Amino acid sequence: MSIIDVEAVPGPVPTTYAIDPNQDFASVIRVKGVNMVYTGRDGRETHALREVNLDIRQGEFISLLGPSGCGKTTLLRIIANLLEPTAGDVSIFGSTPRQARLGRKFGIVFQSPVLYEWRTVRNNIRLPLEIMKVPKAEQNERIDQQLELVGLTKFAHSYPSQLSGGMQQRVGIARALAMKPELLLMDEPFSASDEFTREKLNEDLLRIWKINQKTVIFVTHNISEAVYLSDRVVVMSPHPGRVSSVIEVDLPRPRSQESPEFFSLYTKIRHGFEGVYHQA
Amino acid sequence: MKTNTWGVGLVWVAALALAWEWGAHILAVDLHDPMAASKLPYLHSVVSTLITNAGPLADAAGVTFAQAATGFVLGALIGYVLAVLMSVSRTVERIAFPYLIISQMIPVLGLAPIIFNLVRDMNASRILIAAYITFFPVAANTLSGFRSVDREKRQLLDSYAAGLPTVYFKLMIPFSVPHLFAGLKIAAPLSVTASILVDMLGSKDGIGVKLLYALYGGNMDIFWASVVTSALMGMVSYLVVLLAEKIVVPWEDLGNLGGAR
Repeated sequence: MSIIDVEAVPGPVPTTYAIDPNQDFASVIRVKGVNMVYTGRDGRETHALREVNLDIRQGEFISLLGPSGCGKTTLLRIIANLLEPTAGDVSIFGSTPRQARLGRKFGIVFQSPVLYEWRTVRNNIRLPLEIMKVPKAEQNERIDQQLELVGLTKFAHSYPSQLSGGMQQRVGIARALAMKPELLLMDEPFSASDEFTREKLNEDLLRIWKINQKTVIFVTHNISEAVYLSDRVVVMSPHPGRVSSVIEVDLPRPRSQESPEFFSLYTKIRHGFEGVYHQA
Repeated sequence: MKTNTWGVGLVWVAALALAWEWGAHILAVDLHDPMAASKLPYLHSVVSTLITNAGPLADAAGVTFAQAATGFVLGALIGYVLAVLMSVSRTVERIAFPYLIISQMIPVLGLAPIIFNLVRDMNASRILIAAYITFFPVAANTLSGFRSVDREKRQLLDSYAAGLPTVYFKLMIPFSVPHLFAGLKIAAPLSVTASILVDMLGSKDGIGVKLLYALYGGNMDIFWASVVTSALMGMVSYLVVLLAEKIVVPWEDLGNLGGAR
């Protein structure tokens, strides 16, 4: 498991990460036959996820894309061990989600920044490090490094309420990365941002991902965001929540949203969804 | 902004003082009310009594205030511990909460003599009653603070595999501090009032005694000066809590430079 840390990167970082589908990559995360059924108060069952299977490769940026109700967030929360599936198995680096959580193998970024208002930016990033009992000197080193990476060094001593929404979300990302996790789970992290902020945050996220080479699972309902960011897009559809297709995005990075290849992938995914809505 | 706030306060106090003087003038001069001095004496005469009797009034106020403060701290501690216990265990909450509600239905006026008869000590009674008044708003507000912690803030700690003590020290306790202060702000003037009430049950000293003796003795200037002193004590207690909040909760009140929530 080679996780490359910032300080370990020798020289310039290559800009393309297209994955050859013929190459046999060992999957680091495996989702097998996962079902999630909620039973309502009236005894009616809702199938949030039905028979979901997924293999995620080392260092891959993968998006879970779909409209609300398709179970993408549920799937992420099952991987994060915040939910227990009704049936099925999830394996993360060969262990159960619970073991992975207890071993602090993943960092999580929520839809809202989830910052602690009483802590400064610095101390918000410090939170997981305190709990992981990282030595103080190393805490400060990691915090400085992450602040630099997300461009918030100047705001280290500000409180969250003094930051814009986009900056708050960056703090949330820096906090997750400071743990140096092998896996980054992101639950619609930019859906509350306006279009311009979102594009900037997407660029920043890709830059950070290229430096760190973590495996990223990114939940979104935005097609172009998924195509822009991902190595593969897992397209999900609702009623019941399931994987309807997995699309390889083998466009070189940085990707232009105006290129014909981008547009054709975008259209292909979009047409897939139209089918879903016609059914519903 | 700062000068503006002061200006508003000044106008407010001046208007109140003027209205008081004017009201007293109407009672005494225009209506020829023989009881004018007890219904509403001139403010300037109350102030002059306050100044000439500053020493004894301050002594009496000090005795009552010190007991109220001790009881307040004790009650706040008890209320806080109760809130923590109730938030940790639903069972504890189910057992304790009905008692808490019932406790609030017993009037302090009735409870104070009972407590005094039990402990037979004026200072202890004052402290106990002030504590009794304080614990409930503190417990109720703090508990509602614990209950309103965002689910995702908690899940974040779960994702770090944090234990229950960590959850309390890193999240629940700091999160609920503003709620705790909401309770403290309600309780502080109440604890002073309760302490004054206990004075009146037969204490030898305290501002409540001054009030009672002046009332029975027909010494209206002293009576009104004592009323003003009592009001000032309540305000001071509130301001002390407010000041403590400003120091302990620096992240509130920073103003938002735009952005989400």
